[in-house]
Amino acid sequence: MKTLHLEPLTRVEGHGRVELVLEGGELLEARVALLEAPRLFEGLLLGRSFAEVPALVCRICAICSSVHRVTAAAALEDALGVEVPAAAWRVRDLLLVGGHIESHALHLFCLVLPDLAGVPSVLELLREDHPAARGGLALKALGNRIQEVAGGRAIHPVNVEVGGVLRLPERSVLEGLRDDLAAWEARLPSVLEPFGDPAGYPPSSPVVGVGLCVKASAEVLLRGETLALADGREVPVEGYHGLLSEQPSSYSNAKRAGEVLLTGALARQGREGLADSWPGGIHANNAAQTLELAWALERARRLVDALLDADPAAPLAGAVRPGAGVGTAAIEAPRGLLIHHYAIDDLGRVAVADIVTPTAVNQGAMEGQLLADLKGVDDEEELRARAERIVRAYDPCISCAVHVLNVGGCKPGG
Amino acid sequence: MSRLRLGYQRFTSCCGCQLTLLNCEADLAAFDAAAEVVVFPMASSRPDDGGRLDVVLVEGSVSRPEELSALLQLRRRSEVLAAVGACALTGGVNSLAGTDRAALCEGVYGETAAEKTTFPPQSLSRFVRVDIELAGCPPERGELLRTVGALARGGLPALAEYPVCMECRCRENLCLLLEKGQPCLGAVTRAGCAALCPSFGVPCEGCRGEVAEANRAEQYRLLLEVGLPEGEVAARMKRFTGEEP
Ligand code: SF4
Ligand code: SF4
Repeated sequence: MKTLHLEPLTRVEGHGRVELVLEGGELLEARVALLEAPRLFEGLLLGRSFAEVPALVCRICAICSSVHRVTAAAALEDALGVEVPAAAWRVRDLLLVGGHIESHALHLFCLVLPDLAGVPSVLELLREDHPAARGGLALKALGNRIQEVAGGRAIHPVNVEVGGVLRLPERSVLEGLRDDLAAWEARLPSVLEPFGDPAGYPPSSPVVGVGLCVKASAEVLLRGETLALADGREVPVEGYHGLLSEQPSSYSNAKRAGEVLLTGALARQGREGLADSWPGGIHANNAAQTLELAWALERARRLVDALLDADPAAPLAGAVRPGAGVGTAAIEAPRGLLIHHYAIDDLGRVAVADIVTPTAVNQGAMEGQLLADLKGVDDEEELRARAERIVRAYDPCISCAVHVLNVGGCKPGG
Repeated sequence: MSRLRLGYQRFTSCCGCQLTLLNCEADLAAFDAAAEVVVFPMASSRPDDGGRLDVVLVEGSVSRPEELSALLQLRRRSEVLAAVGACALTGGVNSLAGTDRAALCEGVYGETAAEKTTFPPQSLSRFVRVDIELAGCPPERGELLRTVGALARGGLPALAEYPVCMECRCRENLCLLLEKGQPCLGAVTRAGCAALCPSFGVPCEGCRGEVAEANRAEQYRLLLEVGLPEGEVAARMKRFTGEEP
């Protein structure tokens, strides 16, 4: 028996390791260990004012900071029974699609494209003046710009608080953004071109795991009240715990879901029946991200138009009356389903905090996929290279996944 | 200008500081011209050659024995060590989890807790000499680029030593604290962000840490005056400094 350790995993967000257990050259077991240091976010929130939560939890992960901030606010608003005005949701939705654009572009162009081109990093691509790299980085910058316009900052945005948002973006700024978005429309297909060719990806077996995403309305694809599974099951967001009950594991610092589920761009596209016909196994997740980029740019354009038409005097926040309550919110982060759940005591302090992240949900699927794809491969170099690419295809976000200490049983302040 | 041999390593953190570097989209080619990336796991799969470094940028606080030994090795390897961001400078939001981590960890991981050794997150300067401090949660793109540029020219970056209010007044903003009664921390916070948040109309949350000789007592009093309860004033002032006001 022999175990190959792939560590550190490179060009992924966070610190992880893949362990491949071989017996007589045959792959027996694949383990994905998420090795970030535990950061105890759910523990550090206990006893703090609900008002502090959005600013703290966005620091779970920089790439997902917008969606963490918005999801936390929405869960707390659910707990406190706050009516959030439509104008505030328009600003938040713009922030969310900005985060989606930035994150997908980062993943595709900085983390995956070097694999397609056979170089170590995007820096080599820039040196060669690779046209897709330059275009991809410009697209990534657009995502950051949208987050700055809607959230005040690209990382750890400041414009979202419990109740709504603090301000509307300035008119002139929105107008500038509208022009840039319009200019991108013609440019986008050529920039995304490298990811559409199935021949660019390694051979792959069918995708492992039951698709899971938020059941969404046609307009708002990222938020919803119900979780939908690809096998037809539906679960109200408040019932997430039964579906995703997370278990600790001895080799990873992230808890994992009991059932093997797949969340992320491919699962979301599966919602529309699109993904089934794609070749490429899990690598089709990258193609799904390109479809989402086109959707996100279009959605951003419509949100900017709506904000330009909005009444500047309309309220941007609902009344927040601190008191006891329990609330849950689910929003699609770029790499999949994100759930925040809080209970607040009658003084407005956090009594229970539970945060479920997409990468923690995907751990089981990653391991299943590694086994399915790499069975029969006996060359060690090839195993290493392909395993890393398989994990990368999920766009794992390991800092997110090991926030993960579900502090059940720990007292506030403990 | 000689090309620096550069490393970027992170410990306990959210990746926001290194993402800030990757967010310098239009300047990445210039960055690449100034520095040869020897280690930077999030951005590059190039294997570390283990050789000497001219500069290592270190993000995150230290909260595990493995991180501490990696930090000591990097210090030995590198001419200049720059601590990047609030986590590296003060422990950042990671340090708010309190000191009794064993109890928290055991509650979560049960019998496997012992394998997950972790101690309270601490700043880099507790363990090694830090040559450059880049404040912020995360720092500004320009500060990162200027620092790499200055080092590549054989110099050191010029970093602000005054409070955010100075930059805010230069931008002719309405004062959120005095004129709008909002809990802004600009007066005790180290500048360098061009008063980013107050200029957007949102109070400063102090993410760049404390400026030298901050008048904390007066800031505390002003926040009480704005109407924040005492506990919340303390919590806010402590968010990025780890210190009781
Ligand atoms: S300083 Fe802030 S942005 Fe940087 S790693 Fe720490 S939490 Fe993230
Ligand atoms: S708004 Fe904040 S940063 Fe600006 S001057 Fe007032 S207190 Fe200082």
